[in-house]
Amino acid sequence: MKFRSSAVLLATLASAAAWGQDVNVYGTTLVQLWKQEGAGFDKATFAPATQFLGVDATGVGMEALSVHLFGWGRSDLADQSRFEGKGGGELMFGYLKYRAPKGNLEMQAGRFTVNQGVAIEQVDGASVRADLIGGFTLSAFGGRPVLYKTIDPASQTEYDLQRDVIFGGRLGKRFSKYGEIGVSFVQDGTTSAKYMDGSNTQDYTRRQVAADLRFTPTTGFDLTGRTVYDVNHHINEPAGTDSNKSKIAEHDYGIGLRFSPMFGLNGTYTQRNFRAYYAGTNLPSLFNRYEPGKFQSQGLSFVIGSAASLEAIIDVKKTDRETYGQATRFGGDLRWRPKGTTMQTGLGYHRVSADDVPVSGVFVTTYGISYNEIRAWLTYEKGKLTASADAIHHSFTDKANPNLYGKSSVYEVVGSVGYQAGTQFKISGDLSYGVTPLLEKETRVLFRAEFRFGMASKGGK
Amino acid sequence: MFKKVLLRASLVISLVGLLACSLLSPETSVARSHPEGVTGSRPMCTDCHENEPMKGTLKLYGSFNHTPAFVKDHKFAANQDNGTCATCHSQSSCADCHQGKGVLSPAMKLANRPDRMSPHRGGYLALHRVEGKMDPTGCFKCHGRANNQLCTTCHK
Repeated sequence: MKFRSSAVLLATLASAAAWGQDVNVYGTTLVQLWKQEGAGFDKATFAPATQFLGVDATGVGMEALSVHLFGWGRSDLADQSRFEGKGGGELMFGYLKYRAPKGNLEMQAGRFTVNQGVAIEQVDGASVRADLIGGFTLSAFGGRPVLYKTIDPASQTEYDLQRDVIFGGRLGKRFSKYGEIGVSFVQDGTTSAKYMDGSNTQDYTRRQVAADLRFTPTTGFDLTGRTVYDVNHHINEPAGTDSNKSKIAEHDYGIGLRFSPMFGLNGTYTQRNFRAYYAGTNLPSLFNRYEPGKFQSQGLSFVIGSAASLEAIIDVKKTDRETYGQATRFGGDLRWRPKGTTMQTGLGYHRVSADDVPVSGVFVTTYGISYNEIRAWLTYEKGKLTASADAIHHSFTDKANPNLYGKSSVYEVVGSVGYQAGTQFKISGDLSYGVTPLLEKETRVLFRAEFRFGMASKGGK
Repeated sequence: MFKKVLLRASLVISLVGLLACSLLSPETSVARSHPEGVTGSRPMCTDCHENEPMKGTLKLYGSFNHTPAFVKDHKFAANQDNGTCATCHSQSSCADCHQGKGVLSPAMKLANRPDRMSPHRGGYLALHRVEGKMDPTGCFKCHGRANNQLCTTCHK
């Protein structure tokens, strides 16, 4: 959406919000002071000030209409900036919503995030969803995709041309007490590189179909998952590549078994085929669609106890990227909330054992990327005061790993204190210090002011 | 091409919309907001509700219990029942992590909430070089088609 259109949308929605019977204005102001020193980096001081601002107004003209706005703006108070330019901003969402009292009928128009089956997108357009008789659900959306910059101007022109429109939908069937199945479709861009003139080498368009399911007949059993198929017409792959031709972008499934409120077992399985899964990327140098092979992972976790008091999780996850090798992450987390207190604390340990990475040169050598991770954290509340602390330490097995610049012990410590100045206003400050291979020393101070004015609804956050 | 596709899509959506209106379920919609304030970092719906089908979703209340697995894989529930999520969570709370164009990593924004699941804690700039070798597909979900302006500093 062009700047002028965004401004018109914002002005229209902001003025509409003023008519709401129930208006909430909320925001977070963050001011950071940040010093870093590191190998290959100049000493730098950053001082970004960021304002997040949101408005939710319900009962706009009629009970079922509401307006929702949220965005951020940033300005660098120091000379240096981590981003392009010294300032910037983004409207993350801004839409008018109609919500009917029956059938979960919802209609939205403006900028919003679609979350319908295979489509999880930011769209400037309109969407509708409804429950139908017989347990069916139907949703559809269409509009312009919210576009972001690619790397160079030539690619940007091609990118803008290819991603001209986005639309999709989902049809679901609900089975009372048992769960839901659904099929969905998304088409992001109509002018695929295959049908463009010239030597286009990158597809930014995407056309995918997915099937999803959730089967939860009791609290003790939960089967969830989805399979995504790539149905786009792609350009021929460059000569000499040996990519994975599978049309299956992703299988992603999980199963949860709850033997009692205190014991649970969960398993996951994921398979991703690079060519299909990376379809539509605007960063092909990083997400290489022509990488041979696939990625798979299997995970298992065992939960004992309850988050309300004492909870222990033991987990293991095995990953396999065919062009690299295998890795196993194993460990556990403990979370404790002593009865009758406002304190909560956690402790975790994980070991990642990974295959060595080969380095091609005159002689083929390898380096290791296995590491141990220890984390401890604490939160505490007393009256209007809050405090928290968080410490993470990584120790790498192989100091020769070139990514570590000879530093095998890496850590970060963060402390925070806050004061609830009123029911609608809270201030807090964080101080963090870290030692990492890239940034030898990194010190950050963050000041945070959070406010919420209006007639807040019940519920959570 | 754009106009042609937009016209066809509008026509299909209008026809499907008209059909859907005549077939709309008479069931009451999910409540706009939870009638009672919910506290605690990971609430269990069945602590208060009987484990019966929730109006408007036809799924059991227990299927929305915030167990560790539910929190980690909440995408599946959010994908089918985001209206249920919205009774307690505003969309801006989703945007703490799910950003089209981010300005601050979730770990930095939520540094005062170590109890919350938040990606990129603990000097992740260095760790991503290791984790990315094992599983680059994990990065793709958030940085594959958006939110990657910082990635392009090195990955040109």
